[in-house]
Amino acid sequence: MSDPTLLVLASLAEGDKHGYAMMEDIHHFAGVRLGPGTLYGAITRLEQRGWIRAVKSTEDRRQPYTLTVDGRRHLEEQLSDWNQIVRTGLKRLKHA
Amino acid sequence: MKKLARWLTRFYPRWWRARYGCEFEALIEDSTLTVLDLFGVVRSALEMRMKTTPSPHIVSLASRDIPHGHELESSVEMPQPDGSTMLVRNFCREIDLGDSYVTLNHWSRGAQPAQTVLVFGRKGEVDGDFGTDKTEMLVLGPDGTIQRTEQTVKTWLKYDAIRDGLRDRYRNGMQAGLTPDEIFQRIRSEN
Repeated sequence: MSDPTLLVLASLAEGDKHGYAMMEDIHHFAGVRLGPGTLYGAITRLEQRGWIRAVKSTEDRRQPYTLTVDGRRHLEEQLSDWNQIVRTGLKRLKHA
Repeated sequence: MKKLARWLTRFYPRWWRARYGCEFEALIEDSTLTVLDLFGVVRSALEMRMKTTPSPHIVSLASRDIPHGHELESSVEMPQPDGSTMLVRNFCREIDLGDSYVTLNHWSRGAQPAQTVLVFGRKGEVDGDFGTDKTEMLVLGPDGTIQRTEQTVKTWLKYDAIRDGLRDRYRNGMQAGLTPDEIFQRIRSEN
């Protein structure tokens, strides 16, 4: 799973984060290092689709984001699809 | 690093810089960039340049039932090509009196003076999906002037059903705890 938008959603499922914290978290749990351009491309798309939104912050420039209800639902659907693919793939490998 | 951050942000279109520029520069300053990251920024900036301006942002929205009709009150931030936003406020009241109706529309766009339009319509013959109404429209100008227009208009009856459906979806979404933006995005993705 290396789709940057899904990685961002998965990172925000744990709690609100700003860009740098997302980059660190994604590197930690997925082993993928998203560059700033890729990360903000994903943030822009996700915000325009209404799957994440900016939250008020005490920090001046670092803007935290949060998952919306629709974003959480989309992530759940995507992960469920992936889960199905993984389970089918593993089952077929066992029988091969 | 600050200079590099500012230089890289300039690749992005103005609307994008207005929304994300400051936080993006902060991220660049915090990060250790590789050559691949620089290419990533340029690619992402080109992608954003090919996009149209972002969606409107619904600041507030309220819909109420009133005797023989309903009211809708909204304020929406409309993105402008230069990256700024224009606040559009609107108040609409519709009253259905059976064989006739009255609508009141009051709105303002940014710093422009507010405009008010009052329509009295008498429902005419229905032919298929359309009705023919005789209407009188009063445009109440901010300078106290009144423009009066009488005309026979063809109305699309399906529009009422679509509008009622949208209003119900907004109300259900609000009751479910969604923000107006989330409801708007949901409706947009469903249509």
